[in-house]
Amino acid sequence: MAPSDDVHNVAPEMAIAFFRSILPFNSLDDATLNDLAHHCRVDFYPKGTRILKQGETDITHLYLIQRGGVKAFIEDDQGDVTLKDFRGVGAYIGALGIIRGTPANLNIETVEDTFCFLLPREIFLRLVEQEPSFAHYYLKSFSEKIVTTAYNELRHHKVSNRSGDDLYLFSVRVGDLVKTLRKVSSGSSIQEAAASMAEHRVGSLLVYDPADEENIVGIITDRDLRSKVVAAGLDYNLPVENIMTGPVQTVLSQSLCFDVLLKMMTTSIHHLAVERGGRVIGVVTSHDIMLLQGHSPYYLFKEIRGQQQISGLYVLAQKIPDVIRGLIKEGAKAGNITQMIAILNDHILERMLTLLEKELGPPPVPYCWLLMGSEGRREQTFKTDQDNAILYADPVNDEEKLAAENYFKGFAEKAIGHLVNCGYPLCPGFIMATNPRWCQPLSVWKDYFSKWIDAPDPAELLNATIFFDFRSGFGDSSLARDLRNHLNAKAKEKDIFLFHLARQCMATRVPLSFFKNFIVNKDGEHKNRLDIKGQGLTPFVNFARVLALKNGISETNTLARLKALYDADFINREIWSSANDAYELQMQQRLIHQLSQIEEGVLPDNHINPEQLSDLDKRMLKDAFTIIERLYSVLDKMYPVA
Amino acid sequence: MFDLLNPGTWFPRAAPQLRANKDFFASFDQGRPLSEYTFVVCDTELTGLNKKKDELISIGAVTIRDLQIDLSSMFHNFIKPENMDPTQATLVHRITPQQLEAAEPIDVVLPRFVEYIQGSLLVGHHLPLDMHFLNKATARVMGGTLSNPGVDTMRMAQGYKRVQLGHYHEHNPREISYSLDDLGREYNLPQFKPHDALEDALQTAYLFLYLIKKFRKGGLVTLKDIFQSGRVGSFRY
Repeated sequence: MAPSDDVHNVAPEMAIAFFRSILPFNSLDDATLNDLAHHCRVDFYPKGTRILKQGETDITHLYLIQRGGVKAFIEDDQGDVTLKDFRGVGAYIGALGIIRGTPANLNIETVEDTFCFLLPREIFLRLVEQEPSFAHYYLKSFSEKIVTTAYNELRHHKVSNRSGDDLYLFSVRVGDLVKTLRKVSSGSSIQEAAASMAEHRVGSLLVYDPADEENIVGIITDRDLRSKVVAAGLDYNLPVENIMTGPVQTVLSQSLCFDVLLKMMTTSIHHLAVERGGRVIGVVTSHDIMLLQGHSPYYLFKEIRGQQQISGLYVLAQKIPDVIRGLIKEGAKAGNITQMIAILNDHILERMLTLLEKELGPPPVPYCWLLMGSEGRREQTFKTDQDNAILYADPVNDEEKLAAENYFKGFAEKAIGHLVNCGYPLCPGFIMATNPRWCQPLSVWKDYFSKWIDAPDPAELLNATIFFDFRSGFGDSSLARDLRNHLNAKAKEKDIFLFHLARQCMATRVPLSFFKNFIVNKDGEHKNRLDIKGQGLTPFVNFARVLALKNGISETNTLARLKALYDADFINREIWSSANDAYELQMQQRLIHQLSQIEEGVLPDNHINPEQLSDLDKRMLKDAFTIIERLYSVLDKMYPVA
Repeated sequence: MFDLLNPGTWFPRAAPQLRANKDFFASFDQGRPLSEYTFVVCDTELTGLNKKKDELISIGAVTIRDLQIDLSSMFHNFIKPENMDPTQATLVHRITPQQLEAAEPIDVVLPRFVEYIQGSLLVGHHLPLDMHFLNKATARVMGGTLSNPGVDTMRMAQGYKRVQLGHYHEHNPREISYSLDDLGREYNLPQFKPHDALEDALQTAYLFLYLIKKFRKGGLVTLKDIFQSGRVGSFRY
């Protein structure tokens, strides 16, 4: 079999057309595309096929999805599955592993019947090296790498159960940021150096000793060219050592970016050489770090903790959306993002109340600042109304009672005002610590819950559900624990209460009106919009709440409740994992939706236009909705209408 | 499901390519895993559908190795017809009379194609029709017929449908359309331009990959399994 080239050199048109339609391949010329198409293979993976296995599969090809879709997920040492991402037509799989030369960092499994083009890794690597557009496009892998690191940290964090003080998120080592080392001999002319900088599009060059290339003696930057050469009218033919700064300040490659940033800020030197094993491997600039770390949660976290003025917190709180935006853009998962929002909000609250206590003097009795609703569940997004309350220890006598009432009244008023200034709007339902009804001692709170549980009035219960998701936000958390134990003990034995709660949950039916195969509102302000919160997420929240109360589970976060229910064998693995995935997917959609609204300068809401979703998104969402019916049937069996 | 087409009569004057092909398949093992075979998915375009009169005017083919379509080796040739007014060819096909006029004759193209499919299993949608014209041509210009075993994706699709439908006898698989277009739509395969030999071959290759991998999930791992899956209904997938 010796086929002559002309016979077989048929251009696979469909492959070329495909490459033309996707980034960054669309920037390649026809000859290159033709050549690429000839090196491709096409493979088919039925729905449910595991294409890559995290930490195991050696990636031999770049996969480009021609038809179908995949999900990317991480499985930690304990078998916990974290959904990371869905990828559809035109998306790639495996680029990061090929560029880094490591096995797959994610599990990839097809969620539909999927056809992929397979491009051999050598050819892909050659493109990355030779085509500037490719290098640029996949440079994004740096930030993905950070997310991977962040996930590792987060998993580690979860396992070792550390407190917020050790929030090691974004503990990226500076060595990971370093780009190709560019250097010039100290004997080279200024003009040669400038030409080299222009050619490589870099803002600085390291300068080495002509006698020993490894010996870095200085650095020149754009700024040196500007101020020491052009402005001073210096001869371009002089050797660069005339204008270099030396010796170069160095940092070790394993230093944390945060520490490097601190060093830059304290020394006012913005270019540092990075050293590994006694050798300089490159330069890191403050710009590199700010680019990746400028909106890092860790950075903000440190700022919040160091704040000495309540008014200083106002500005910091407004920075939270920027941090979150960065996380979403880097591909972080919804579950982690909402947790991050909760952590940052908690720290604002903690710092603010700490400073407020200093201002007003210590409280007469211990107290706990309660968070309700989505804050209580740690599920806030960009739109976070205040839902809070004060719970204080029972006063021992009338005098203490009066002192407590007075103190917490003033305390609450100031706190709520500060929170508004921080950008958390007032609760329209007036569920806030300033409402005397929700600023009460423990015994009164216990009575509230007893009343709701013992003689449930369905109408009142509807408004009270958010109270069942309370958690301690600041202060003496043992008070909140005491109240939770009381609630758990009461709720478990009261079937009539759980019955009402369950029926109420099921009352949120998925409306059966379809718009382009999608469930949407039929009329009103949000006509043909999908209410992702009310119709999509709330059923999951309600389901988890009912079962958590029924089984005495103290968790308030929906995903954590589901996990706890599964761990204790109250729901099966299948229900748990599908509910978990469906919930997380919708959260992600909601976050992305709100993020784009913020970018457009619109107030974020929960109403998604299905027309703006990709086919894959739509299908995923529809699948997610079908899970709701399954959850309802579980509830229906437990609490049948007699 | 799977046709072991008759190798045909062996003529002493058979071309060396055909003899080599025949020798290869004389000791052919059907029991190996599917991924070890090379398949050539082919499609032909004809001047018409008259089995006696009409001739081949193009052959398109694509190779499947490791159960992946290998885009590096595709085959596409127009053929200059001997007894036909080339102006008629434009009716259905995307072939212009000029292209046919400029094409090489069958006795140049066919030996190349036989070399291309050497040692491979042939796959086609309604393959017997293509085989009829190919064998008619090889007999005439190369003095023999093709020995390659063949797989008909139309019959695979029928078998797959029977498995899918299982016990629901009210569906008669015969009422369902098994045209390449309709199957492509039903299985949501990428669509190719119809009535071009190479594009149809690619479309068939996608269908073949789809069916074979869907079947494989049901435990069909060797060529023999695919052959035996003609008796469908007795296994679950």
